[in-house]
Amino acid sequence: MTETLHNLYLGFSVALSPHILLYAFVGCIVGTLVGVLPGVGPLAGISLLLPATFGLNATSAIVLLAGIYYGAMYGGSTTSILMRIPGEAASVMTCIEGYAMTRNGRGGPALAIAAVGSYVAGTASVVALMLLAPPLASFALRFGPPEYFSLLLLGLLSLAYLSGGSMLKSLAMAALGLLLGMVGIDPMSGFFRFNYGWVELGDGLGVVPVAVGLFGLSEILLTAGQQVAPEVIKPKLGELLPSREEWRSSIWPIGRGTVLGFLIGIIPGSAHIISSFVSYAMERRLAKHPDRFGHGAIEGVAGPESANNSATSGAFVPMLALGVPSGPIPAVMIAAMMVHGISPGPLLISQQPELFWGFIASMYVGNVVLLILNLPLVGLFINVLRVPYPLLYPAILMFCVLGVYAVNGSVVDIGIMTAMGALGYVLRKFDFETAPIVLGLVLAPMLEMSFRQALSMSSGSYDIFINRPIAGVMLIVAFTLLLMGILSSGMKKIDWRRRLGLAESQP
Amino acid sequence: MFTTDRVAGGALVLFSLLVIWESRALPLGTWRQPGPAYAPVLLAALLLLFGLCLSVPGRRAPLFSSVGWREWRHVSAILAACIFAVFALERLGYRLTVLLLLVFLLKIVERRGLLPTLAFAATLAYGSFFLFHTILRVPLPQGLLGF
Amino acid sequence: MIRMPECGYFRRHVCFAAVAALLVGVAAGGFAQEKYPNRPITIVAPFPPGGVADLTARPVAAAMEKVLKNPVVVVNKTGAAGAVGMSFVANSKPDGYTLLMALSSISIIPEADKLFDRQPAYTMNQLMPIALISADPTIFVVNAERPWKSVKEFVEDAKKRRGEISYSSSGVYGTLHMAMEMFSHAAGISLKHVPYAGAGPALTAILGGHVDTLASGPAVVIPHIKAGKLRPLAGWGAKRVASLPDVPTFKELGYDIEFYIWAGLFAPRGTPAPVMKVIRGAVRQAVNTSEFKSAMDKLATPIAYLDAPEFQKFWDKDAKMLADAIKRVGKVEVKEVK
Repeated sequence: MTETLHNLYLGFSVALSPHILLYAFVGCIVGTLVGVLPGVGPLAGISLLLPATFGLNATSAIVLLAGIYYGAMYGGSTTSILMRIPGEAASVMTCIEGYAMTRNGRGGPALAIAAVGSYVAGTASVVALMLLAPPLASFALRFGPPEYFSLLLLGLLSLAYLSGGSMLKSLAMAALGLLLGMVGIDPMSGFFRFNYGWVELGDGLGVVPVAVGLFGLSEILLTAGQQVAPEVIKPKLGELLPSREEWRSSIWPIGRGTVLGFLIGIIPGSAHIISSFVSYAMERRLAKHPDRFGHGAIEGVAGPESANNSATSGAFVPMLALGVPSGPIPAVMIAAMMVHGISPGPLLISQQPELFWGFIASMYVGNVVLLILNLPLVGLFINVLRVPYPLLYPAILMFCVLGVYAVNGSVVDIGIMTAMGALGYVLRKFDFETAPIVLGLVLAPMLEMSFRQALSMSSGSYDIFINRPIAGVMLIVAFTLLLMGILSSGMKKIDWRRRLGLAESQP
Repeated sequence: MFTTDRVAGGALVLFSLLVIWESRALPLGTWRQPGPAYAPVLLAALLLLFGLCLSVPGRRAPLFSSVGWREWRHVSAILAACIFAVFALERLGYRLTVLLLLVFLLKIVERRGLLPTLAFAATLAYGSFFLFHTILRVPLPQGLLGF
Repeated sequence: MIRMPECGYFRRHVCFAAVAALLVGVAAGGFAQEKYPNRPITIVAPFPPGGVADLTARPVAAAMEKVLKNPVVVVNKTGAAGAVGMSFVANSKPDGYTLLMALSSISIIPEADKLFDRQPAYTMNQLMPIALISADPTIFVVNAERPWKSVKEFVEDAKKRRGEISYSSSGVYGTLHMAMEMFSHAAGISLKHVPYAGAGPALTAILGGHVDTLASGPAVVIPHIKAGKLRPLAGWGAKRVASLPDVPTFKELGYDIEFYIWAGLFAPRGTPAPVMKVIRGAVRQAVNTSEFKSAMDKLATPIAYLDAPEFQKFWDKDAKMLADAIKRVGKVEVKEVK
């Protein structure tokens, strides 16, 4: 323990040195700017600015990149809450409750809770990272294809609890999303699927254009033509901070989100979007008044945002402890380290203590910096909403186009965004939820690939899912949840019909 | 007769049939060694099922004709603007495309005055380009005319 | 026709001289504009930032920029295992301003397209080699908990247990898959292939013990070898890897196979010869600068520079090897699990 404290002291002495602090600050600002842009998330931000770090020394470079990462996550929740445009794919859940809160005039509190929740989650998960990195990493490595499949199935089934409206409709949308995820090269066989000759679709439809289109563009399509200006209640100055009740309702969601996000984040290759979806589903299940969800429940912002942020720190566990890239973002960080001649591996922590501890300490610092940056900015951002909507939405549209193009430099993505926007518009007219589509789209490739890899590993035998303990346990939990979900909604249907029958029989 | 659920369910059914039809070119594989068509066909079958479950008891949903499409003018204008962006962005360059887009939306769709529209549009187009392309080095197309 | 009314004799001559001078100036200026390079040059890296192509392209670009005194930028155009970026350059104007930093997979994609009767995204004829920059020999590693201590032991075991020993790869028909294919063909054994989506996940899989072996570039596995998690058994290079002097090559062990994960610079076919001369000269100078050498040192990647004619020969040989391997593998789904 004393060694850890000593190392932490070393780390802080590195992190709090003026020029490192400067880099952290710059990284956070740049990250926030990049994150506010719809669709352009941390990965794009880091990739874009990676070349700029080549001239710096290793610790500064890593600190800068980590700052951008965090900043982008914070910035992403801003557009999600204020304009229902997912700042990045993982903020999709925040869009739902956050925007509803903005409509109710509670946009300020939503932003504040998102910032505070992110801060708490970020800090707590960094502590966990610091203390538990090596043992957790070894545990995470034991996740192979069968375990992934079970975990992802579990995440997908949490959808059963997402439905505000009809569970059938949500499942249909999930199936649609999964189908959309089938577009592209099949990694197990090399076949191109459903891409009709367009090489750009080789990697699939892309989460960013789909999410921005389904959420952001469809929102613009729905509200732009309204004769009456949309009901965005302009908040008064005193209402920028959350009420005591909102604070109190957020504590447990933040706690649960942190733990959940961290656990999901340490598993290499799991998408962070799962953490926010599962957190949302969990909060909805555990809430005392579930019908508030969909109309501005603060728990639906606090939970997913915290889960998101701690998944971020969780993702660094395999990277730092083992040198294993747990996703595209840690892969870029590893590349940044390699460029500076540091090869990440199991010996990184012992051979490069200033880097590791400096990194950890800079994450604390980054979290504080972002909190300080974002809370006052809440007022500034809210004022953006005062712009009359007919002027605002073309600007938002422009940002959407900019953000979606920036991800891949491809106009095909803008076309996808447009098509998805039209689809989202129609779906919402028909009273379908669009969030499950995004979840399905993200999960489909991993779900299918893990399934087929697992079968490859076992040479075609299905026992592998049951023989391995982690996978087996998760599958059992998943099916139990599914059964419970079907039973309870089935019982609700029976009740409803009885009531309707009663109503019909009365004149 | 035509409720929203029925129409939506029907659309889903048609879509899943389309997917199954399109998957016929890919090998299905076996139970033990699933091929590239395996998952799409399975999912399409599920979607088909869901679509049927939606449309058959779909009587209780609101009528299709009751769905208002009042905003169709704005919707078509915005979608047309986006499609324009798809084709123009790399040919005309970011700044010019966005300028035209904004002017179109503000002047023609929203009927604002010409001068404030131009000022607003130019500021946004050039300002965002400067911020994101020049400072943050986000690659934005500069088109054939150098814009 | 320009009418020049009321132009006196003197004036007319002055006008004529002025116009002539103007024309000559424009023409000279025009020719001056023909000098290459006078615009920023773009090197397209067809993989996401942080990958081998990207990490190799950036020091090259920086060094070339110094030599040419002209901006050279790296742009990532990702997608479809590199096909998007590669076909983009193959189809772009051959004026020397769009170049490609490609990996050995450049030879794989058109072959795979042929295998699937697809319209190829690009053909190798659409590109001309400029220079080879680096060529990492692949290394054969096994999970340290497995018993095999030498290739001989491994092959014996593999012959006894056909199709049971597994290996991960970065994807079907990818470079790591093809390397293993060549080895198993040369050794007459059959292994179980579990494809992953990229080199990173493939490495994670072997570290977690979910597969037994892996063919990989040396830079990413050396830290794990030093930490005792992976054991190298052989290398696919003609010579032993400098940082692993105890690891024999497959050639030494009697298997006639060579495989490198190489990175090279390409230009669209039809780029004019003078322009190519300038580029090749710039690259030749660039790889000899000290900054470039130290950048590559940090990446633990040896420089293996080959100028265009030698690179063409290298590429042809490599491409043929890969084409043979792909044809042998055939369409994955049709085969039984061996």
